Amino acid sequence: MAHPTRIEPSVLHKLAMHAPESGNRLWTGIREKSMMTLNSTAFPNKKIEEWKFTDLKLISRTPFVRTGQAETIPAQNIEKYFIPESDRSRLVFINGIFQEGYSSIGGLGKGVTVGNLSAYARNKIVQAYLNKLVNYENDLFTAYNGLMFEDGAFIHLEPGARAEAPIQILNLYTDSEKPFIANPRILIVADTDSDATVIEEHIGLSENVYMTIPVCEVKVKQRAHIHHVRIQRDGQNAIHMSRPIAYVEKNSEYHSYTITLGAKLSRNEPRVIQEDEEVNFTMDGLVLIDGEQVADTHSLMDHRFSHANSHQLHKVVVNGSAHSIFNGKIFVRRDAQKIDSFQENRNLLLSADGLVNTKPQLEIFADDVLCSHGATIGQLDPEEVFYLQSRGMTEEKAKEVLTYAFALETIENVKVDSVHKLLIDEVYRYTRANSKPKKVLV
Amino acid sequence: MSETKALESMIGEEYKYGFTTDIEYEDFPSGINEDIVRLISEKKNEPEWMTEFRLKAYRAWVEMEEPSWFNATYEKPKFDTLQYYSAPKNKPKLNSLDEVDPNIRETYEKLGIPLDEQKMLAGVAVDAVFDSISIFTSFKEKLAEAGVIFCSISEAVQDHPELIKKYMGSVVPARDNFYAALNSAVFSDGSFCYVPKDTICPMELSTYFRINNMNSGQFERTLIIAEENSHVSYLEGCTAPVYDENQLHAAVVELIALDNAEIKYSTIQNWYSGDENGKGGIYNFVTKRGACRGKNSKISWTQLETGSVVTLKYPSVILQGDNSVGEFFSVAVTNKMQQADTGTKMIHIGKNTKSTIISKGISAGRSNNSYRGEVKISKKADNARNYSQCDSMLIGQTCGAHTFPYIESANPTGKIEHEATTSRVGEDQIFYLQQRGISEDDAISLIVNGFCKEVLKELPMEFAVEANKLLGIKLEGSVG
Repeated sequence: MAHPTRIEPSVLHKLAMHAPESGNRLWTGIREKSMMTLNSTAFPNKKIEEWKFTDLKLISRTPFVRTGQAETIPAQNIEKYFIPESDRSRLVFINGIFQEGYSSIGGLGKGVTVGNLSAYARNKIVQAYLNKLVNYENDLFTAYNGLMFEDGAFIHLEPGARAEAPIQILNLYTDSEKPFIANPRILIVADTDSDATVIEEHIGLSENVYMTIPVCEVKVKQRAHIHHVRIQRDGQNAIHMSRPIAYVEKNSEYHSYTITLGAKLSRNEPRVIQEDEEVNFTMDGLVLIDGEQVADTHSLMDHRFSHANSHQLHKVVVNGSAHSIFNGKIFVRRDAQKIDSFQENRNLLLSADGLVNTKPQLEIFADDVLCSHGATIGQLDPEEVFYLQSRGMTEEKAKEVLTYAFALETIENVKVDSVHKLLIDEVYRYTRANSKPKKVLV
Repeated sequence: MSETKALESMIGEEYKYGFTTDIEYEDFPSGINEDIVRLISEKKNEPEWMTEFRLKAYRAWVEMEEPSWFNATYEKPKFDTLQYYSAPKNKPKLNSLDEVDPNIRETYEKLGIPLDEQKMLAGVAVDAVFDSISIFTSFKEKLAEAGVIFCSISEAVQDHPELIKKYMGSVVPARDNFYAALNSAVFSDGSFCYVPKDTICPMELSTYFRINNMNSGQFERTLIIAEENSHVSYLEGCTAPVYDENQLHAAVVELIALDNAEIKYSTIQNWYSGDENGKGGIYNFVTKRGACRGKNSKISWTQLETGSVVTLKYPSVILQGDNSVGEFFSVAVTNKMQQADTGTKMIHIGKNTKSTIISKGISAGRSNNSYRGEVKISKKADNARNYSQCDSMLIGQTCGAHTFPYIESANPTGKIEHEATTSRVGEDQIFYLQQRGISEDDAISLIVNGFCKEVLKELPMEFAVEANKLLGIKLEGSVG
């Protein structure tokens, strides 16, 4: 397809010329729309405010191919990522392709539909919501996903339905000779008075270069509750560009927890959009990075109606020559009175080569609101380290304990036991490995 | 600062009318090109190197794009029709105060400005000889005794070329940004201050008293140098609202503090902010930057921004010397259709450097008030420390408050704390005060002054009293 001359075609634009055909009308419509966006959107660069601190050379210089070749993975390598609570409520995708054999969806009770999107292509809910909720201005990555995705996870809760077990969406990425791009997709529609817990995981099984662009759409209707845990454990050379967006209706609750551990370059853009009065939402994040990792979070909490209660705690630990970027936007629109919104960003910088950029951003257009944010960057308090040393701990151990405690706060609210334990282990593993400041050898 | 310019231009007018004619300037061509830049330099009888400085800046400016990243929308100035040489403006001469806009007079009275001064500010012909000349003379003697050089930039270019050559453009380079480049090419005049080694400037300096070459015009340039172990405090602006015909004001201020030196720079800005729809207001696009070059040096900015229809202003400190300190205290008030995008930059380079930012933004009417700041701890700035607090207050439901703090740390021993809150003047607070017999306007003024206390206390005495009144006047009638 021809590109307008003013846009320099990037690797994504070039790959877009080989978009898959689809016999399905819904998919065809999404592709056409995405193609239009893609054709009018340039590859982002540092001159654009939103990309000021994030270097995307890693993407533009990698000779990506459209898909990874299927590779057989020993079953135990997949099964070890299963969480026991989701024994009968699990969807597995490898490189974005649905794995029916590993998935299990029988144990969720009445009124809960879980499956892969392509199997539900004619479903009314899918027809009504798929790709309708995505709202990222001039975003090449969502457009690319829209053009390329073939399948994804679908969760629908009927009015009053409660998922009896947490639903695990396991995205695995395999080894591949050539760097590939995966386009996972999730659609969650929670009808009135429903309730579910969703565990979304991204795990890299090898150290090859790949890029994943997960796009996740969530609709939380009146009085519904969604508890959404997102764990990113991509491979150490992977690129992760995720776009999760949630729309919350009256009296609903949406709580999301994003844990970023893997990937060489990640850019997470969570958004929560208020659609009616009286909502309650959380958007917490934990980022633990070292080596040469770059982890970027650009979040948006958009308060459009009155009486919302929102909270964001974003904690970051940086070691090695890693680089963390955070831009947390809180919008309070005109007439959205009685908003109580709090944002907290705490950064722990352990090494001399690490870098932290943070930009907490408040934009308020209503006067009767309580909005505040706090941001700190620092190291462990030497007095606290000394105190623990005076109690007989080695300096290393003291630092480990303090770092561990620092990180733990964000995962305390994760309700699923095995996931909570898994995260504690991950935090522990990280703090063990990073209790000494690391200088990366060149 | 802009205040000062207006004040100056008016005082200057009086002076000019008394002793010279302005025919010379009237035919100065509008628009800008290299010939115009040369002509300005020639008019000011500048040496060759100064002309070169201007031309280089002009060439850089031509290549630059007008910025648009800030949170404000306005009609861009038409650079090719502006008049770049600040000739004395031909304001209609008024015969008595009765001819002055009653709104302005009311404000003057509320501020308690003496009658003669009111006349002067409003551009009424004053018969009595303004007695600031005598003040000025004793003022100048005192400064000379201490060895402080305080004169206009034009004079400094003639009399102290070695200082100008060494320092001008060293903090704000000519190609720093679009407006700084334009200023460097066409700057009209401004203040120059040099405080020698081991000297504490015997008095607060203010452009108010610098009566020669008053007419600094719209492209003002200020340069302050504090040598080792010296101290200087500089005041700029005044609380009285002043009209000026130049819509665009693009000034550059450079401060340099050497070892153990301290510079305190205070501004009150109350330019015309346009009518109810923001029409006719001043654009205040200023580049202000200080360099703490020496060890233990300190630069402190205090500002009270109440005027202009669009303000883009980020007084910054580059903390190069070890143990140096940067401070920024700001109150920005916007009402009607005003837009202010203001804040600071604290760049930590030296070890043990400290910075404090206290910013209070008050928005009312249909205005938008943004804090935009940058705190950067570079790799070598061991034990750097920053504390920032940005509070916003909204009055009414049609205004906006925005906070854009950019925070960066590349050193694990650095410590940065930033917090921001948003609140409002509550009806219950006003009701409580009214119940105690305080009028609504006074109640608002009281609450707002309490909100800004931390910043107002940093202002020099002379300003602080007027600042309190000014805040009240600015927000009159904005609730209910």
